[in-house]
Amino acid sequence: MPKPANRRKIVFGHFSLLYLLLLAACVTSSPEHHKISEIRINNDFIIVKATAKDTLSSLAAQYLNDPAKDWLIAEFNHIKTLSAGQELIIPLFPFNKGGLKSGSYQTVPVLVYYSFSKNKPGKSTVTQDDFKAHMKYLKENGYNVITLDQLLDFLDYKEQIPEKSVVITFDDGWRSIYNIAFPIMKEYGFPATLFVYTDFIGGGKAISWKQVKKLSENGFDIQCKTKTHRNLATKKKKESFKEYFKSLEMEISYPKKLIKKKLNKECRYLAYPYGKTNNLVIAMLKKHGYRAAFTVERESNPFFADNYRIHRSPIYGKCDVKKFKKILSVFQNMELK
Amino acid sequence: MRNDMKSLLNIFLLIIVLFFFTGCAGVREFLEEISDKIAEKAPEGKKALISSSYLEKALEYEKDNELQTALFYMQIAGTLDPDNTEIPEKIAGLRSAIDKKAGRHFAKGVAFYKKRKFKDARRQFLTALRYAPGHKDAFDYLKNRLPPKEYINYKVKNKDTLKGIAKKFYNDPSKDFLIAYFNNLKTDKKPVPGTMLELPILGLEFTRPSIDIRNELIKAENLLKEKRYQEVLGVIGKINKYDRLNKKATDLKNAACYQIGIELSRQEKYPEAIEMFKKVAPEYQGVKEAIQQVANKELMKAKNFLKQKQYEQTLAVAGRILDYDKSNKAAKDLINTTFCQKAKDLIIQKNYSQAVKVLDKADPEYFCVKNAISDVKKAMKKQADVHYLQGVKYFLNEELKSAIKEWEKTLTLNPEHKKAKKNIKNARSLLEKLEKVY
Repeated sequence: MPKPANRRKIVFGHFSLLYLLLLAACVTSSPEHHKISEIRINNDFIIVKATAKDTLSSLAAQYLNDPAKDWLIAEFNHIKTLSAGQELIIPLFPFNKGGLKSGSYQTVPVLVYYSFSKNKPGKSTVTQDDFKAHMKYLKENGYNVITLDQLLDFLDYKEQIPEKSVVITFDDGWRSIYNIAFPIMKEYGFPATLFVYTDFIGGGKAISWKQVKKLSENGFDIQCKTKTHRNLATKKKKESFKEYFKSLEMEISYPKKLIKKKLNKECRYLAYPYGKTNNLVIAMLKKHGYRAAFTVERESNPFFADNYRIHRSPIYGKCDVKKFKKILSVFQNMELK
Repeated sequence: MRNDMKSLLNIFLLIIVLFFFTGCAGVREFLEEISDKIAEKAPEGKKALISSSYLEKALEYEKDNELQTALFYMQIAGTLDPDNTEIPEKIAGLRSAIDKKAGRHFAKGVAFYKKRKFKDARRQFLTALRYAPGHKDAFDYLKNRLPPKEYINYKVKNKDTLKGIAKKFYNDPSKDFLIAYFNNLKTDKKPVPGTMLELPILGLEFTRPSIDIRNELIKAENLLKEKRYQEVLGVIGKINKYDRLNKKATDLKNAACYQIGIELSRQEKYPEAIEMFKKVAPEYQGVKEAIQQVANKELMKAKNFLKQKQYEQTLAVAGRILDYDKSNKAAKDLINTTFCQKAKDLIIQKNYSQAVKVLDKADPEYFCVKNAISDVKKAMKKQADVHYLQGVKYFLNEELKSAIKEWEKTLTLNPEHKKAKKNIKNARSLLEKLEKVY
């Protein structure tokens, strides 16, 4: 018979063992759960100590309700990856909406592609391999492809966007966009915008409405490039001013209604045919509720760019990565002290 | 020890009971609660340590002039260490520095904007916004005021009609529908006075010129070749009615005005030549030199006037030079020399008050002006004494009224002459007494 003291030790030993087993069982029975220490600083910041299971996107999902906002945490803390035990600050607000730094300001390149071919580059055509190489370059070099809504929130100084942001757009509605570009975009998971001129859709080499719908359901934002692709900035020779005005109204209002009807989507952005515009066109776009419009001026856009004259860089012909890199200007040097 | 063992045993038992009734979730909640309580009781030193690292970062950012980031870190440090009394002061200091810097750059931006130096203005507004991201006015300038507008605002006046406004702005009354469209009005109704309308700014191609600008430009070019400069200006005037910014027209106007100026200068019509040169863009080749040549010729002319003591003409010519060349030193020298000479002449004529008036117009920093002022003062004093003595003479001869007149002259020239004042008083009193006696 063990002595009472020894008996107590044995009982305590059994309980300890049971307790440890229980703890181990509980820990292993819920692998997805982990608790990290966190400190809230008003409604502005949270300080967290990352665990081994944390990633920037898991933290963004947990604290910013959006895993895609991992860049916001990375940029605030000047880090690219996360390690266990690392203490970091999660900003709960856009801390640098204009992308302003002491020696530069942020700019966003907006790319525009027209059509694609398997092998031959053309006047407005990019080859499949070049396009693939462009997307690969963006992915591997830390560029963030953002949507037009994100771009406009940046231009309106409402939201911050990642430092290396790029917008991808496609114009007109050539079928090769569906056949060649779409699978590549899908592979990389990049969002994009397709500006269609509605009279073209369903024509010879053009995309069909069915295909447009499919693109729309797969991350493509469908927006408009007028009805007939006429140059909006100039009056035709034999056209009276009133006729020109009526034509403008139709070019601007009709595609909006048609896209709404076909896709049940609101059209708020317009790409100017040939990139040309004038004051009258802009006034009319505003009257019809367009949020922004796009030219084809080869420049990147700072937040203070004119929303109705947003620059885009057209890409066509033979465009290898070396050439492509030059278009991707994401900041402009300027002393801001 | 025994009590510790007992309390541990109680916790174990509680965990087991919890496990049986609530499973792992209950146990986990219980453990988390305990760990939270332990964290709450975490040693103060740890919090202070964390706080100090943020404080250090804040100070580093402040040193680097990254004031917003410094403020973020300072606020974090302050929340972590609420007992630190220095942090709130530092936060207030940072806020004040941010406000000051943003305010200064914004003010600079507005000044540049007013001078139409838009690039410089933009840089200042961006800097203001970098320091103070919530600076609404800086943002307004960047986003709304700096970009060109597509509308002009127009306040409707009492007798305005849409057709009238369209005629005024578009040179075309039939564009009334455009005003109606963009302002949600009906063309057949009069706009309400006081309403602010938005009128889209139309490009040249949409306003209705009654002339063919291209033809008119060719015409102006040919006239310039034929040296019919005044006619060139006539044609350009017509073009400018429809297109004020036409570069070709501006170039032709500059050339014509320059040539007319040269011709006028040859005819010694200097003021007219200068008027013409002023119409030429300052960067136009040769215009600065032409103005300088005219200025030199005018100076010669002015110097000749001065030699002949034609002071008014000298001043007129030299003044004209300063009108178009404010920093022309020779003209300034000439004007002041003229004032001195004129004043000296007036001193000789004993017209001291006029001499003073002339010298008032001169620049007192000029040596000759200083001398002339001193001369006139001395002369006035001397003359005052002459009148005083003359007054004494009259007084001794019992000519009291004449004596008073002389002393009054003395006071006009030297108001501080005490004896003259006293003598006038005595003489008047004597006169009164004498009048009573007789």
